[in-house]
Amino acid sequence: MRARSGAPRRGFGLPAGTLMAHIPDGFLSAPVVAGTAAASAACLAVAARRSRRRLAEREAPLLGALTAFVFAAQMLNFPLGAGTSAHLLGGVLVATLVGPWSGMLVLFAVVLVQALLFQDGGIAALGANTLNLAVIGAGGGFLLYRWVFALVGDGARRRAVAAALAGFGSTVMVGIAVALELAASGIVPLRPAVLVIGGAHVLVGIGEAMLTGSVLTLVIRSRPDLMTVVAPPTRAARGVALVTLGVALTVAVGGVYLASTRPDVLTAAATRFGLTGRETSTVTPPFAGYAAPRGGPWVAAVVGVMVLFVLAWAVSRLAARRRS
Amino acid sequence: MGGEPTGGAAAIVSFHHLDQYATVPSPITAAPPVARLVGAASVAAGAATLPLGAWGPLAVLAIPVLASAAIARLPLSRLLARMTGPLAFVLLASIGLLVLVPGEPAAHLGPVAVTREGIARCGFVLGRAIVALGAAVVLVSTTSFPDLLHALRVLRLPLVVTAALGLAYRLLYLLVDELERLQRAARSRNAGGGDAGRRRLMIGVAAAVLGRAYARAERTHRAMVARGYSGDLPSLQAWVWSPQTVLVLATLVALVAATSAAAHLGVL
Repeated sequence: MRARSGAPRRGFGLPAGTLMAHIPDGFLSAPVVAGTAAASAACLAVAARRSRRRLAEREAPLLGALTAFVFAAQMLNFPLGAGTSAHLLGGVLVATLVGPWSGMLVLFAVVLVQALLFQDGGIAALGANTLNLAVIGAGGGFLLYRWVFALVGDGARRRAVAAALAGFGSTVMVGIAVALELAASGIVPLRPAVLVIGGAHVLVGIGEAMLTGSVLTLVIRSRPDLMTVVAPPTRAARGVALVTLGVALTVAVGGVYLASTRPDVLTAAATRFGLTGRETSTVTPPFAGYAAPRGGPWVAAVVGVMVLFVLAWAVSRLAARRRS
Repeated sequence: MGGEPTGGAAAIVSFHHLDQYATVPSPITAAPPVARLVGAASVAAGAATLPLGAWGPLAVLAIPVLASAAIARLPLSRLLARMTGPLAFVLLASIGLLVLVPGEPAAHLGPVAVTREGIARCGFVLGRAIVALGAAVVLVSTTSFPDLLHALRVLRLPLVVTAALGLAYRLLYLLVDELERLQRAARSRNAGGGDAGRRRLMIGVAAAVLGRAYARAERTHRAMVARGYSGDLPSLQAWVWSPQTVLVLATLVALVAATSAAAHLGVL
């Protein structure tokens, strides 16, 4: 063992979204700092009460171990291919091990250590970083996990797949939350913020999904006692999950339809730089301009969302089968 | 220079590099940790939330940072060196503002325009970050981690969080070293070639570290319980609030509040 001359080495070459997962001081306005701090404090107060009830005397070693683990694991650069890499955020992984409330406390402890000792994330931005990584990352991620778990059904491999998909979803949610906070602070316009930071977090989410699912598979095999107990989904829970899926699809269809009527950021940028009309394509898309040959944009939106859903469903089922 | 590792037994992995000025006698290190934490947090929060373009108030808030570093006998070179690493990340994060903020083009980088407004915003964000970072570095250089934990307990942070932080503090560098050992061992066996192989290696290493963290934490916890641990980690050092400490802290908080209010009202 050797003494270190500074903070533990953290990887470079990370996507922009990874860097902004811990917002430094100087990026947020006073109202956003105050608002996110109040929201985080309220959530942590509830989490502390609920966690104590759940873990009792086991909580200190469990939470201490996980805090140290998440900090150490965040130093591992996970290659995504094409020269990009990401590191674990850990919200869903921790929440599936100790439950959402304790998971939020673990992520808060990690954010606190990183801000106070290593200046990775600001002291004034502590509330925002806690809201993003602990409340949304672990708490929101666990809600997603329960939802996907109810959809895919019980079983060790299905749990891992549900956690992987929730890991991806929670990472994207974290990216969007960061973008919203920066935009609300007047630092950067909303659309480019969502596009750049949210887009980078889609990449980061792929790594998060791989790490969460794979590590959880190994944990289920070697130490299943470490997993938090989640009851198998009942018929009612499955029904609720399917209804919310239906609502989500409806919103998505509406979103696709609405989005198709306005130029997006890329189109606007292309217009600004005089790139419109220069694009070439050797393939004729079936729904060019989000319009189906018959039925217009509504049909294109419904078909597009259904195709995406079927693809995602097939990939998750295939992944669940292969993990067995 | 108290606490600096000098080799031999002192070279055991520790946090000493963080708080190497914590044992240097000074009015800063004599103040209770909670006073140091509240002072640093108020300066950091005040600087970080100044309205865009308020360079004057930012300069005012930089004064207590530099003054506290001088009083704590923390050399400016050391302060700047400690800020370099985090500042690199801030720089990377803020550089996007140059092109993302709309405005009058100042220069062109290929098809992308760097705007004047983007330059101004990037510069001020960096300025705010530097002052806030300075406050955090002075705090962490002059306050040991157990003292920071004590301050967090005084500030009524949930006991479960401070207990977990205390245990994590004992495990952190052991786990980081374990992680590096596992990676070295895997590399010496030619594991982790190519992206797919490296991904498999990372997953295996992460899972192994998680298992070892649990095992080690359970052992440590059992040993702590055997020594009378009941969920609380009382501090052995009794901190005394002197009238001077109260006065200095109140003045500092009032200065930050007045500067911030003046900046937001456009007075300063």
